[in-house]
Amino acid sequence: MNGIHDLGGMHGLGPISPEKNEPVFHEEWEKRAFGLFASTFVFAGYTIDEFRHAIEKLEPAHYLESSYYEHWLHAFEETLSKRGIVTREELDARVAKLKKEDH
Amino acid sequence: MLLTPEIVPGLVATGASARVDQQVKPSFSVGDKIRVRNYNPATHTRLPGYLRGKLGVVETDYGVFAFPDTHAHGLGEKPQHCYSVKFTAREVWGETASTRDTLRVDLFDDYMAPE
Repeated sequence: MNGIHDLGGMHGLGPISPEKNEPVFHEEWEKRAFGLFASTFVFAGYTIDEFRHAIEKLEPAHYLESSYYEHWLHAFEETLSKRGIVTREELDARVAKLKKEDH
Repeated sequence: MLLTPEIVPGLVATGASARVDQQVKPSFSVGDKIRVRNYNPATHTRLPGYLRGKLGVVETDYGVFAFPDTHAHGLGEKPQHCYSVKFTAREVWGETASTRDTLRVDLFDDYMAPE
């Protein structure tokens, strides 16, 4: 797929500047996202290639603006909803509930 | 299948490797000159776009692996050889690139044609 993920050779994206003393996780929720990989990989039976392709299909502007583990979250939603393990409605309801709790 | 504590050590040790324990005839040998195919699937591929049409030399044969391009879409493993292929920076990026730099990219059998 000639997608936004295939950045090799693109100009204008600025330098790569690694963080000093970069933590393994930047947010608490990223730990849970990491843990979700092994459990859903075994349970849902997707391949790493299907997982990667789900990330490639992210809307291009969103792909560039979102973090590594946000890409993972998107791939979980795609692969699990494709199998009917969760539904889009359940995901939307959960997001709405969390938004409410946040306020 | 549920992830249980017994599964975890194996999963961590192999990284859920895509290596396939099967004899498959390689299309290329170490030292062979290859040209990357002008291959543009709208589906998943591990071929970086900047390599299309470029000339390279096979440096290492890693063995047989599941082909990501079919594996991503439930179309089977299509087991085939994966190689480390060497390209010069000049071949990839043109005349303004360094004459000394080279890069190596892991490429599957199906991405390449003999030259």
